[in-house]
Amino acid sequence: MLRNALLCLALACCLPAHAQDAAQTVPPDIGQRVAERYVAPSLAAFSGVTGRLDGKMGELCAAPGDEALEEARATFADTVRAWGPVSMFRFGPLVEENRFEHLFFWPDMRGVTLRQVQGVLADKDESAAAAASLKEKSVALQGLPALEFVLFGSGAEELAGADGAFRCRYGTAIATNLTGRAAELTQAWAPDAPFHSDFTRPAAGNALYRSPGEVAGEVVKALTTGLQFARNAELLPALGANPDKANGKRTPLWRSNLTFDLVGTQIEGMMGLVNAADFKTHLDAAGGAIVDSVLFDLEHALGALEEVGTPAETAFTEAEDRGRISYAGVALEGADHTISEQLSAAIGLTMGFNALDGD
Amino acid sequence: MLAGGAALAPTWADAAEEALFLGARLNRGRFEAAVIDEMGRDRLVLPLEARGHSFAIDPPRRRAVAFARSPGRFAVAFDVDGRDEPVAITAAADRHFHGHGVFTPDGRLMLATENDFEAGRGVVGIYDATDRFCRIGEFPSDGIGPHEAVPLRDGRTICVANGGILTHPDYGRAKLNLATMAPSLAYIDAASGEVVEKAALAPELSRLSIRHMALDAAGHVWFGCQYEGAATDRPPLVGRHRRGREVELFPGPREVLHAMQNYVGSVAVDASGTVLATSSPRGGLIAFWDTESGRCLGRQTLADGCGVAPSARGRVLATSGRGAVVNAGPETERVLTEAGGGAPAWDNHLRRM
Repeated sequence: MLRNALLCLALACCLPAHAQDAAQTVPPDIGQRVAERYVAPSLAAFSGVTGRLDGKMGELCAAPGDEALEEARATFADTVRAWGPVSMFRFGPLVEENRFEHLFFWPDMRGVTLRQVQGVLADKDESAAAAASLKEKSVALQGLPALEFVLFGSGAEELAGADGAFRCRYGTAIATNLTGRAAELTQAWAPDAPFHSDFTRPAAGNALYRSPGEVAGEVVKALTTGLQFARNAELLPALGANPDKANGKRTPLWRSNLTFDLVGTQIEGMMGLVNAADFKTHLDAAGGAIVDSVLFDLEHALGALEEVGTPAETAFTEAEDRGRISYAGVALEGADHTISEQLSAAIGLTMGFNALDGD
Repeated sequence: MLAGGAALAPTWADAAEEALFLGARLNRGRFEAAVIDEMGRDRLVLPLEARGHSFAIDPPRRRAVAFARSPGRFAVAFDVDGRDEPVAITAAADRHFHGHGVFTPDGRLMLATENDFEAGRGVVGIYDATDRFCRIGEFPSDGIGPHEAVPLRDGRTICVANGGILTHPDYGRAKLNLATMAPSLAYIDAASGEVVEKAALAPELSRLSIRHMALDAAGHVWFGCQYEGAATDRPPLVGRHRRGREVELFPGPREVLHAMQNYVGSVAVDASGTVLATSSPRGGLIAFWDTESGRCLGRQTLADGCGVAPSARGRVLATSGRGAVVNAGPETERVLTEAGGGAPAWDNHLRRM
């Protein structure tokens, strides 16, 4: 009896510092699952479509015309839809070297993209029309929002004719750099890369992730970051407190009317991430209900945005669409709270709202 | 009968000696500010319209101001014994609160860290604490994103941690300037608004946001940081600044630094002024440091633990987002309220009266 008690005491002393890990119901292979089922296919799609976009831009410059412009625009739309899921794993390679901002400079509350891109177009700044020198310039000049202005902003129709030659070359340089960044991301997430092995094989000696719990923490953090970004930085600024304060031009990609494609694919990405992580398999019924509740909110947010019937520029002021967008905002907030207040605890993480949304 | 009545209603002198703590929390879907005793029992609960953050406290006059978390625009002044009606304070039209503030020792003014968001600069709002907290002016915090402020012992100077992160309420809490951050500590004469001293980190640590502070026995400023750079970097997160000298940083043991995950949520110095506690909700731990040497003395685990406030010598009262209230020191931790079971979820800060 005494010996048993002593043994218990000895074991208690030997527990790792993260004693909480012992009670975790995190899928032990969560990193592997997320990398294989979510990150790899998302990056493959993004990489493929940026390459196609680069090609379409080249074709447009070589033989300008209405049809070529339409094809470039359609491929841009595909690129935005492929970016949605990629933008939701905002950690590791995507945040290193300001990659996220290079790909998608947002929020842009002072309209830096518009000002700088118009400057480049007005001055016909050749250093912006070559991929290598463009790389050294402001992040606002080189992401998807910049290319959106080139393809859809005022004066974009000149791309269909000879007058648009410079604009077209600048757009191609942006597309080439997008392709390059997509390749960098793919490389950083490749199975033999250090980040990938840290993420998929968490272990005591790793630089970043030392247990499946830490990997799960990163996934949960990515979800709450994504939810807050989609709601607070992409939708709500344009919604304003009331219809008088609404302004669709404060939302990303309104010129191409791809705003809801962007947010919609981000929400699909979050659902994909939750499913890839496979939290449910390791939880009891009550825990499973928490995961379902997150997915329920995400599905309803997505459904509401899919029903928006007017273009992004006006949707935020039209009563019915405004209601749909508000509803999506509430659902996204609900998912955010469920994740930080309940899911995190259910899978045994030490994180809660202090860790996920502290100050 | 009389004796029993007296025991239930302590005199104000007794009440003043009792240790009381203030924290913001989420209780069954409602946000509130709570005053608790040293055992974690509620003494006063005040509803808040949204998530609260920290408090300005005026111990001689037994009152406090609860602030909204950034980018909130409300604050509430209240009597900690619940004797007066609370007074609502609203931020100026083009300002929002950053969640922290202080009273001047004479109780005349209350100073709050705020964001002049259109100009993208930090200010300290000045409120008349003798006249229903009317906002009577402001001075620059000499930096972006002023977060916690602490009054120094000279009774004149406040030290403001300019976290360096630019935000705009239209975009929620999105960080808008990570590439150009320049965090600092600004020592400001509260009477004139003059910056009398400023301390900054080395340029390679520009992404180390200085956010929370506490004073040690010698009156030196200890601070805790949140790192906005690469996750693979492991910069020190705990530092000390002694007036007139360079900032000193203390990494602590490698495994403690790793566990803190580049994030300190709150700091407090114990009753003796010799032990600093730093909480990291991301790592679920509280680390303790010797304020003489900067040596790490030990740590305790507390899932989503963030609030820390001075308790006895070498100890702090700490709260968690899971509802736990514990009394912790470098070697031992005593649970006063268990986590879970519907207990109120404590937000970032716990402050002692």
